[in-house]
Amino acid sequence: MAVAIETRGLTKDYRSPLKEPGLWGGVKSLFDRKYKDTRAVDGVSFTIQEGELVGFLGANGAGKTTTLKMLSGLLTPTAGEALALGHVPWEREASFQRSISLVMGQRSQLWWEIPAYETFKLNQAIYGLSEADFRTHLDELVDLLELGEHLSVPVKKLSLGQRMRCELAASLLHRPKLLLLDEPTIGLDVVMQKAVREFIKAYNARSGSTIMLTSHNMTDVVELCKRVIVIEKGRLLYDGPLDRLVERYADHKIMRARFTTPVDPADLKAFGNVVKYEDSTVTLEVPRAKMAAAAAALLASYPVADLNVEEVDIDDIVRRLFTNS
Amino acid sequence: MPVLKKYWRIWLRTASMAMQAQLTYRLGSFGFLLGKMIRLLFFFAFMAAVFQHVESVAGYSLVETALFFMTFNLVDMTAQIFFRGVYGARRTVSEGDFDFYLVQPCSPLFRMTCSSVDFLDIVTIIPVIVMTGMVFSRLPPIGWQGYAAYALLMINGVALIYAIHVLVAGLAVRTQELESAIWIYRDVMFMGKFPVDVYAPAVRWALTVGVPIAVMTTFPAKALLGRLSPAWFAYAFALTAVALPLSWWFWRDSVARYTSSSS
Amino acid sequence: MSPYWVAYKIALQETLQRRSTLIMDRLGGFAVVVSLYSFWTALIGDKATFLGYTRAEMLTYVLALNVLRSFVFTGRGWQLVGEISSGKISSYLIRPVSYHGYALSLDLAQKTVHVAAAIFEVALLAALAGGEIFLPRDPAVWLMFAAAVVMSSLLFFFLEFMVSCLAFWTSESGGPLFCFELFLQFAAGAFFPLDVLPLALRRTLELTPFPYMVYFPVRVFLEKVPPAEAMRLLGMEALWLAAAFTAAMMVWKRGVRSYAAEGG
Repeated sequence: MAVAIETRGLTKDYRSPLKEPGLWGGVKSLFDRKYKDTRAVDGVSFTIQEGELVGFLGANGAGKTTTLKMLSGLLTPTAGEALALGHVPWEREASFQRSISLVMGQRSQLWWEIPAYETFKLNQAIYGLSEADFRTHLDELVDLLELGEHLSVPVKKLSLGQRMRCELAASLLHRPKLLLLDEPTIGLDVVMQKAVREFIKAYNARSGSTIMLTSHNMTDVVELCKRVIVIEKGRLLYDGPLDRLVERYADHKIMRARFTTPVDPADLKAFGNVVKYEDSTVTLEVPRAKMAAAAAALLASYPVADLNVEEVDIDDIVRRLFTNS
Repeated sequence: MPVLKKYWRIWLRTASMAMQAQLTYRLGSFGFLLGKMIRLLFFFAFMAAVFQHVESVAGYSLVETALFFMTFNLVDMTAQIFFRGVYGARRTVSEGDFDFYLVQPCSPLFRMTCSSVDFLDIVTIIPVIVMTGMVFSRLPPIGWQGYAAYALLMINGVALIYAIHVLVAGLAVRTQELESAIWIYRDVMFMGKFPVDVYAPAVRWALTVGVPIAVMTTFPAKALLGRLSPAWFAYAFALTAVALPLSWWFWRDSVARYTSSSS
Repeated sequence: MSPYWVAYKIALQETLQRRSTLIMDRLGGFAVVVSLYSFWTALIGDKATFLGYTRAEMLTYVLALNVLRSFVFTGRGWQLVGEISSGKISSYLIRPVSYHGYALSLDLAQKTVHVAAAIFEVALLAALAGGEIFLPRDPAVWLMFAAAVVMSSLLFFFLEFMVSCLAFWTSESGGPLFCFELFLQFAAGAFFPLDVLPLALRRTLELTPFPYMVYFPVRVFLEKVPPAEAMRLLGMEALWLAAAFTAAMMVWKRGVRSYAAEGG
């Protein structure tokens, strides 16, 4: 199995100008610029094989998007090395760019007022696809993504879900061997999220392409990735199978219950670890295996007005990782 | 050459897409078209009216002044057609389109400058070309050298304007502020509508050496009328020979420092 | 404290804060003034008068243009278009403040900054060029000039307002607004004195409100209009202003009604 991506000590520093508030501060800044240096990515190293579907987890601002952007050639690192598909990404060789694709959630390369098909033709010209190849690839994507008549409607008239699917098609017309997805499900409703996830899984299986996706939505990662890389404050915290991560750090789920009459939280310890009790609402941590039973028991014994069961927030998992390591 | 063909095809595609997008705004487009034509016609009428009262301005007759004005328009509008994308540079960067340009196998500078063709500009340049032809027909006979010099200096002018646009594009990528720089360029270009000789010597100097509007718009017409010395002729091309590589270097440096909006 | 005064102060601060935009704007405008000034100087050449304007008068015309442009030709048209199409305007409609009063206050703040800059620029240019400027000695002239200019700026404000209201019915009002502003500037005498134009054309334009905005006030300033005639023209301008105001209000009311009917 060939290596698709290899990074060694990838580091990226940002320098942002500090502006003092007020008019005088503005004048001062004209002459004496002060800067703030932030290290967004700090010595990140990993290797990814061809065909893997890897998830990049981390809180906002943790450095996952920056890493992805460096791998796509968008940003040049301050230090460290990387090879993607045998190329140095930030040298932006055309042959490298023709075999990758970057999809950014909430950002679109489709032109707004005209049909998505037009943007596809543009990409055909950019990637140098022959007419035959274009036709074949397009037909396949139309099929997979169920695009049908959406192609000939101005993009602004499409629903968010339809737009996302067209966006995916536009990014995959040239059959990239490496697909980088930055928060692909952000802003989508639950149904749409599922559809996008299904597509990514199917695409990975069909084409054998290597896929890296960043998300701060745990469900995306749980459904898609066997392997995750966790980044916190620019540093790599965890790189390994997902099930071990979930087992080790998220062995429980969160149950939130609101009662119609106040309840003594001490009584609730039987169901799980009481994290918070406020305004007749209790937040409990319940081991995964016991969740269904605990919920049923709670509903049976107490006057529950409202009950919610959630996955552990990624920030909590990462925090746990951080305090553990 | 395959590279040229590829870029030509991409240019045609984006121009066609831009036109389609614009055609969805029929009322707006009509308004802009009308406005541009009004501006052109009024200025022309103004000049004609002025010359009802005077014989010459700064030593130039009506026909000659018209030649300066039309040359200005040709150069300015050609630049508008090809480099209009830079006017939206800041938005291109802040909305993330520039990120796509960097990742795709097509020169991001090309996409930045050429992706926003206004087909109305292509429409309005046609009457301008016609009017220029009319002005030409009223000039005394000129040898082929004059026409050659004119053409070369016009191309040179467009190239100089390109260098300025590349500079502004670099600024937009680098600081993500200062897009207003391009609007200053448009205002200063206003000065190019008149033959540079009307300006006081200090201003004339600034317009030839400082911000070389004179080189872009006045020089070609002057050369055609045989009033440009060989020294200035050489200066025009030397200037471009320096400005172009400089602007490209600035662009490359700006892209290397690019930080990309959003985390 | 009056909400309009507060709005004025905030807008003033805001305009001053955006230094680089302000400087760029002024520099660009300055370039335009320099070219016009130079052109007219070249035009007048060695002659004593041109079109009935002496050298000093001609140059004063050009310099006054710069100041008047900053006072008369700034409006809230583009902002209004933006607010209507983005829906922001709904928040103003439910407030107990007149939108027009509010817009006028913001506009006044802009005018304050730009006029101050414009006066500085023309003083600089006059000093540099060593040209004579014509300044009227009769205080009545100054008064009439001030009255005319105030009316002109309101006239422009409401005319532009009216055209911007197109945004209530179409998303493409930018085009017509652009066209309108350009046409206006030429017809108002903001690029060149209307004396340049052939008589027939001038007579036609004088039937419209446009020349009242720049051409007429500057002529009053240059004492080219006898007082009786000036009063008559002031009266005409007042009538045009009243008409523009009424028309703008009517269009506004219609627009707001149709806007609310659609649910924004």
